[in-house]
Amino acid sequence: MEAIWDGLVEAFRLIGTGDGELFSIAGRSLLVSGSATALAMLVGVPLGYLLGRARFPARTLILAAVGTGMGMPPVVAGLVIWLLLVRSGPFGGFELIYTKQAMIIAQFLIATPLVIAFTAASIQALPARLPDLLAVLGAGKLRTLWLLAREARLGLLAAVMAGFGAVVSEVGASMAVGGNLVGDTRVLTTAIVTETSRADTERAIAYGLVLLAMAFAIVAVLTVVQQRTPR
Amino acid sequence: MEARFDRVQFAYGDQPVVDVSDLRFAAGRVTALLGPNGSGKSTLLRLLAGLERPRAGRVLLGEEPAAAAARTAVAYAFQEAVFLSGTLRANLDLALRLRGLPRSERRDRLAEAATACGVAHLLDRPANRLSGGEAQRANLARALSLRAPLTLLDEPLAGFDERGRGQMLEELPALLRRFAGTTVLVTHDRDEALRLAADLVLLREGRVRAAGPRREVFASPPDPETAAFLGYTLIPTDAGLAGIAPGGLRPGPGDFMLTLHVEEIVDLVTSVEVVGSGNGERIAVAFPPHLPLPAPGEQVTVSAPTEMVASFTESAPKTVDSPSRAPVA
Repeated sequence: MEAIWDGLVEAFRLIGTGDGELFSIAGRSLLVSGSATALAMLVGVPLGYLLGRARFPARTLILAAVGTGMGMPPVVAGLVIWLLLVRSGPFGGFELIYTKQAMIIAQFLIATPLVIAFTAASIQALPARLPDLLAVLGAGKLRTLWLLAREARLGLLAAVMAGFGAVVSEVGASMAVGGNLVGDTRVLTTAIVTETSRADTERAIAYGLVLLAMAFAIVAVLTVVQQRTPR
Repeated sequence: MEARFDRVQFAYGDQPVVDVSDLRFAAGRVTALLGPNGSGKSTLLRLLAGLERPRAGRVLLGEEPAAAAARTAVAYAFQEAVFLSGTLRANLDLALRLRGLPRSERRDRLAEAATACGVAHLLDRPANRLSGGEAQRANLARALSLRAPLTLLDEPLAGFDERGRGQMLEELPALLRRFAGTTVLVTHDRDEALRLAADLVLLREGRVRAAGPRREVFASPPDPETAAFLGYTLIPTDAGLAGIAPGGLRPGPGDFMLTLHVEEIVDLVTSVEVVGSGNGERIAVAFPPHLPLPAPGEQVTVSAPTEMVASFTESAPKTVDSPSRAPVA
């Protein structure tokens, strides 16, 4: 109990004094997970829209695959990307292994199925005649997409939250493809693992608190935006 | 604006849905597309709105293909009233904004259509929380506010309760005269079609069975199936089949006579029907209140005037697909 209390005190001291290493790692976490989530939205929202709207023979199969992807353990995603990016792998020539880019790719792989599934579900929940109505009223393709996205905003914001929440808290993929290199690829989750194994519980708790606070702040902002929109 | 189907074929996958050789919707007139479920009525409307592309042939609005012209020329009230989130005012305004109208004109048109359709007091309510009847009126207001050259209404009276439907049935002709140009409405209700439309197009299995001014179409159904759909009573005769127009059979002798073997008396409170068999068919005849009612088991003579009898000597259904018969108006 005392260790936890001491850990909390030290954690707040590190946060309060603006500990350089702590904030450098937190910034890197935000950069990697934010980038991965943004990329996942960029790819996942159009794919989710297509799966939600279009009807084609393999649709159900793809939706099932996406559903499976949602439950994919991060360490498996990490393993897949590691196999592809390791020097002897098919994309080894790009020399991305143990870089932030590799971590972004792995986290992208984790977040994308979530974004696709949330988007498809929110688009499917819209009235079926809505795209027809907008087309008849004269909305162009981009305007129609924008208006439909606005209608599906609750689901789309949930997709951002689910995607970001999943990747900012994962450790397996980041460890596998990032290597947890000090000052380069160490992020909050891998740093917590490292400090715990070193028995530096104060730092581990400080990192944990910052991670929770960061996740909460971002999700809180998104939730406020989501809930403020009129129905 | 005249709308025209020129040798149009349309299918969903391998399933043919529409096969119309030539069909015109005359400028400024109200036409009802009438037919049973699955006859292709709504698909014809979607083709006119450019929401579906014909597999063969052309759908023209004026001289332009529907797919190109519909975005500026068509107003469409879907059977299911669909709104975006936000107030009814925001929804009506968006429709006018998408048509590129300036703010002041949008405000005037919105107020005018909302007042005429009886939804002005609902403008600041969330559109998705309107009741069934309110939503249908709002749906109509949105379509009419566009004052489009071609207005398409899919089952415009669906979603109303009986009282609301009666009211709307009375109001709709005036609303269409005021706000709509050429109007095509879909219905499966014969009385609704006769009440609202000047012209009728009867559809079955994606083909036009009859088209023209309503009185003509109603007076001379092309085949027994169409006659049955229009409410005709079909009675076998020596020459084939006779179709008696709704309300045509009366008690007593007349031009077309038959003997009815009375089976039951159906009291509908506001009228009485004598039901029995005649020439092997089950027939119902409305009896005026002043006439004595026959008892079950008795035989009575009933008849219909010649002008209310259609004769069918061939059983093969005819299709209206030649330009000489197809044009409406």
